[in-house]
Order: sequence, then C-alpha cells, then structure tokens
Amino acid sequence: MSALAWLGGLAYFTLHWARVAVRCRPPPGQTFAEAYKIGVQSLPVLLTISAFVGSNLALQGYNAFAPLGGQRLVGMFVALAGVRELAPLIAAAMIAAKAGTEMASQIAVMRTREQIDALEVMAVNPFWWLVTPRLYGILLVMPALTLIAVFTTLLAAYCASVFQLGLSGATFLEFVTQSTEMRDLATGEVKALVFATIICFVSCYCGFYSEKGPEGVGKATNQAVVVSCVACVTFNYLVSQVLYG
Amino acid sequence: MLDTLAALGRFGRFAARVTWRILTPPWNAEDFHRHAWTVAIRCVGPVLAVTFPFGMVIALQGLSIFDLFGAQRLLPSLISVAILREISPVMASVLVAAQAGSAYAAELGAMRIKEELDATEVMAVDSLRWHVAPRVAALAFACPILNTLGDIGGLAGGFVMSVWIQGENAGVFMANLWTFTHVGDLLGGIVKTATFGLIIGMVACYHGFHATGGAAGVGKGVNDTVVRATLCFFAANYLLTSAFFSA
Repeated sequence: MSALAWLGGLAYFTLHWARVAVRCRPPPGQTFAEAYKIGVQSLPVLLTISAFVGSNLALQGYNAFAPLGGQRLVGMFVALAGVRELAPLIAAAMIAAKAGTEMASQIAVMRTREQIDALEVMAVNPFWWLVTPRLYGILLVMPALTLIAVFTTLLAAYCASVFQLGLSGATFLEFVTQSTEMRDLATGEVKALVFATIICFVSCYCGFYSEKGPEGVGKATNQAVVVSCVACVTFNYLVSQVLYG
Repeated sequence: MLDTLAALGRFGRFAARVTWRILTPPWNAEDFHRHAWTVAIRCVGPVLAVTFPFGMVIALQGLSIFDLFGAQRLLPSLISVAILREISPVMASVLVAAQAGSAYAAELGAMRIKEELDATEVMAVDSLRWHVAPRVAALAFACPILNTLGDIGGLAGGFVMSVWIQGENAGVFMANLWTFTHVGDLLGGIVKTATFGLIIGMVACYHGFHATGGAAGVGKGVNDTVVRATLCFFAANYLLTSAFFSA
C-alpha cells in the first residue's frame, strides 16, 4: 500500500512540475550549471567503472566461449552485451549514484533548512526552480555520457583481450564491427534519455518530501539511489523488449 | 593530490583498526545479528527486482545471437554462466552499496552530528568496536546470502523469458542449464560478494564515522559512500575475476 502511495506521490509531483514547465522558460544559467556539474563531475567515475566493466566482459566472454573453442567470439560477446545492455545500464547506475544522490541530498538539505518554504514565500515556484534545471541539465549530458561509456567499455575490452588474453586485435575489431549497428547506439541513446528522466524525477521527489534533520537527508539519499537503480533495470528490460524483442 | 593520499591513509588506518576489532573478542554479537538481519530483509526486494529483469534481458539478447547459429539450446548455459559468475554478484553488491551502505553512512553520520558517538567515547565504550565492527561484519556476511538469492532470481528471469515468453522447451532449458557451470562458479561468486561486502562496509562506516558539517555533511557522506564503494568493488571485481575464472 505504501509503495502505491509513493508512486502516486511521484506521479502527482511530475504532473505538478509539468504544469509549471509548459508555462515557464527554464532558468538558463542554472540549467547549464547543472549540466556541467552532472556531466563533468561524473566523468572520472564513469570512465573508471566502464573500463572495469569492459575488461571484465572480455575475461568472462573468453571463459564462456572457451568450452566451445570460440575464444575469437569475445569481440561479438563484448559488442552485444556491452554496447546493447551493460554500458548504458552501468552508466545510469553510476549517474544515479553520483548525480542522483547529489540532487536528493541537496534538495533534502534545503527542506531541512526550510529554504524550500522560503522559496515559496518569495513567490518562486520551487518545482520550476529546483526540478527544471536539473532535468534539462541531465537530459543534455546523459546521451553523451552513455556514448563515452560505450566507447570506454569497448576500449577496455580491447586492451584486456589483446594484452591480458593474448587474442588478435584485428579479429576482435572485426567481430565488434560485424555485430554492432547504428541501431544499437541509437537504442543506447533512447535508454539514456529514459534513465535520465527516471533518475531526475525520483531523486528530486525523494529529496523534496524528505523528513527534516540529518536522518531525513540520509534516508532520502538512500531511497533515491535504490529506487532509481531498480526502476532503471526494469525500464531497461522494457526498452530492450520493445526495440529488440 | 596530497589530500587524496592523506584521505587514503586515514581510510587505511580506519580499516586496520576495524579489522582488528572484528577479529578479536569481545564481539557485539547482538548488534551483528540485528544488522545482518536488517540488511538481508531490506535488500532482498531490490536485489530480486534487479536480477530478475536482468536474467530476462540476457535471455532476450542471447536468443537473438543463438538464433543466428541455430544453437538455442546453448542459451541456458550462457544465462547460468553470466548470472552466477558476474551479473548477480555485481548487481547484488551495487544494490547493497546503494541500500545498506548508504543507510550505514547516514546512521553513523547522524550519530556523529548529534554527538552520540562522542557520548559513547566519554562513557569509555569503544565506538569502533561497539558501532562499526558489527556493521561491517554484518555486510560481509549478508552480501553472499543476497548474492545466492540474486542467482535464483536471475535464473528464474531467464527461465520466464525463454520458456514462457519466447516458447523454448522447458526440458531442454533445464537439461542445458548446468553444462558449463560447476560449484566453483557459485563459490567464486560467494567469495567475491563477501569481499565486496567488506569493502562496502568499510567505505560506508568510514564516511559515516568521519562525517562533519551538519545535515549537508551527512548527505555528502552518503553520496560519496555509494560512488566510492562502487568504484572500489568494481576494481576488486576485475582482480578477483582474473584470479578465479581465467583458465
């Protein structure tokens, strides 16, 4: 029951925001500041994680195909598993962990310090001021971050399979180019936009209605990242089913 | 650069002190049981909610590959290898870091801000032994259990996708499920997740224990916990995979 009430609250929050968003321009300076913060500050984390995902994929693909004598298929395995599914999903999980938690904790701190009430007193719509720049900012950078994650994954997988596993680099690249199409990258971008929207609304909602005090801030942040991760994986399945099924 | 090194050194000292208190008696067994139980209960839903769709996605993508070769009967073997070795340990640990790790950072951070930890020290109770050690041990204990449940969830997702939705034969699926997997894969996953749990617990408790700056500080600690714990255990994952599974 409480989960249903929570979902209803999220829907109400989104509608509330949409009503303001269609009428007002976003605050432009804020939007670019958020885009910079989300995009540039998440980049080191994203690069590191994608590199480890890629090298691990190569190792596991090598092992999985070893009984079939198909170690050359590593390139195909990395291309299909990494480009189509893992890279966009891991990018989303890291953005949820880095940028999403930051949104939730910032807004929750503003709730604790009664700054949100202060905004309303000053006749500034808090939905417009808090949610709009974050949403447009994350929508602006998320597709780029996903592309970067995809290419880092491939690069790391290439390095692992050539330098650690001693496979031929040319064969790897041949299988990668054979088994990926433009459509796979486009699907990754669609996923990135869906994940960005989910992460932003869930995190802002968790922060906006948090309890006051340090525990409330902690709880809101915690809830934001868990719910966004679960929702991203579920929607990943739905998008894959629709676009590949 | 120097600040980073100093922070790493502080973290190393903290981890060594906590490890010493986990290994030597007296133990706070009551809190250990309570924390382990809470972690398991609070994380089992998210872990299953993540591994189940993941199993479905692997089945979906795997079918599209194996259809090319007419080798659909290899699909269940691929699913079980991917789930047992990689997907379930990693996704379960991501969720534990997000759910339990951030909760520990928030709890300990709130205790630090409200000076409860200082009060414990004033009463001559070792707060590392009393508050931190049981939490870290509980995470290292609960993570493998959640991983095993995640394995089951992922395999169930694969089964639902390939048998119920795509109409593969259930008997063929079950017969080929364990072709390439053996007990070593399950044990490898358990050792991996125990290590990840230890890493997550240490990072989370470090950030909570050293929280400063009021409610905002707690929020920042929680944020840093999730990111840094995930980074650390992904790095550890690469090393452990190289050690266990590369023939």
